[in-house]
Amino acid sequence: MGCQSAYAYQAMAQEVQYEPVAQIGGGAYGTVYKARDRESGQFVALKSVRVQTDQDGLPLSTVREVALLKRLEQFDHPNIVKLMDVCASPRTDQETKVTLVFEHVDQDLKTYLEKAPAPGLPAHTIRDLMKQLVNGLEFLHSHRVVHRDLKPENILVTSRGQVKLADFGLARMYSCHMALTPVVVTLWYRSPEVLLQSTYATPVDIWSTGCIFAEMFRRKPLFCGESEADQLGKIFEVIGLPSEEDWPADVTLKRHNFSPQKPLPFPDHVPEICSKGEDLLKKMLSFDPLRRISALNALHHDYMKEED
Amino acid sequence: MRPEEELTSAAATGNTERVKHLLQSGVNGNGVNGFQRTPLQVMMMGSTPVARLLLEHGAVPNVRDCSTGTTPLHDAARTGYLETVRLLVEFHADSQATDNNNCRPVDLAQLNGHQEVVDFLLSI
Repeated sequence: MGCQSAYAYQAMAQEVQYEPVAQIGGGAYGTVYKARDRESGQFVALKSVRVQTDQDGLPLSTVREVALLKRLEQFDHPNIVKLMDVCASPRTDQETKVTLVFEHVDQDLKTYLEKAPAPGLPAHTIRDLMKQLVNGLEFLHSHRVVHRDLKPENILVTSRGQVKLADFGLARMYSCHMALTPVVVTLWYRSPEVLLQSTYATPVDIWSTGCIFAEMFRRKPLFCGESEADQLGKIFEVIGLPSEEDWPADVTLKRHNFSPQKPLPFPDHVPEICSKGEDLLKKMLSFDPLRRISALNALHHDYMKEED
Repeated sequence: MRPEEELTSAAATGNTERVKHLLQSGVNGNGVNGFQRTPLQVMMMGSTPVARLLLEHGAVPNVRDCSTGTTPLHDAARTGYLETVRLLVEFHADSQATDNNNCRPVDLAQLNGHQEVVDFLLSI
């Protein structure tokens, strides 16, 4: 009970300290605001989730998830957004609002790519962004955190060119609410196993990273599907239709629903990519999640070692 | 959602296409959202394309935050996005404006170690 009132006090203090200035995300599960920290004058991102409570207080899953985020924060990783504050404020007997205060970076990779003058980003810039991105991902994966929704909008880039991953670790807290809400989510960075609703783990993030790697060269997304099946069709146009033995068992979409395709050489889709880059990209865009390269191995791939 | 609300949110998320569409369909570039902030005050500071669209549609750069006295130029300078700083100045943002802590944009750039921004602001 003491804990509950301490949280309530914090909640009040928090409402004084952080002043929202605009809504930057949200749905039925909660809202994300850009806010100003009155103490430092800096912008922060306030993410709140409404969770159901009972006589024992917050659900254990929420407590665990917040504890994990706090544990990650202690590493002060350069490629992960900072978690600055966490706060729970009871709304009713059955509902509590959990607010997480994150560092706000005023540029994402989508904007960064949009701003890149023709003919696109220099090779050394792409390599530097990739090193940082994979470094952040390797950190998350080594702590058994799967991002699950990696896309240019949640890869942040500071004015000094420092990459920071955002919006990780909340997936589970959100997912139970999201299932009830018709939120439009992009399919473009989804791995085949997610699209097929098969098993999924850390390799899903490597798939997304591969799509983003290609996008850094192309300055437009690699696979722009409009439905799950359409997204898979677009993927197979590039990587070829997987063999029957690679197709996961027990999934609704069957291999025979797709037309046979031979893999195309990557440079057709990704101009200017060097041979080592192409090798890494191929290993990231492997249909079979078990054969896909890990973040740790990607970090030590020859592409990352090349000098410009 | 009110159109002003939509425009500020689109600006804050750096959604250039959406900002363009809303401005072209006549949404007021100086309208405030529920938090009494204009799109330029809350925009993604690194998004020069969004800043340009807003300014070209008549968004007023010299607007102070109602609680901190900060102008968009203060925020662009503090976060170090030089292109946005240049653009705001080009559209007559006041480089000598002071916030409630009596800081000018150049002071915030200095404090945060954005030397290129400092050099630019001192050169004008």
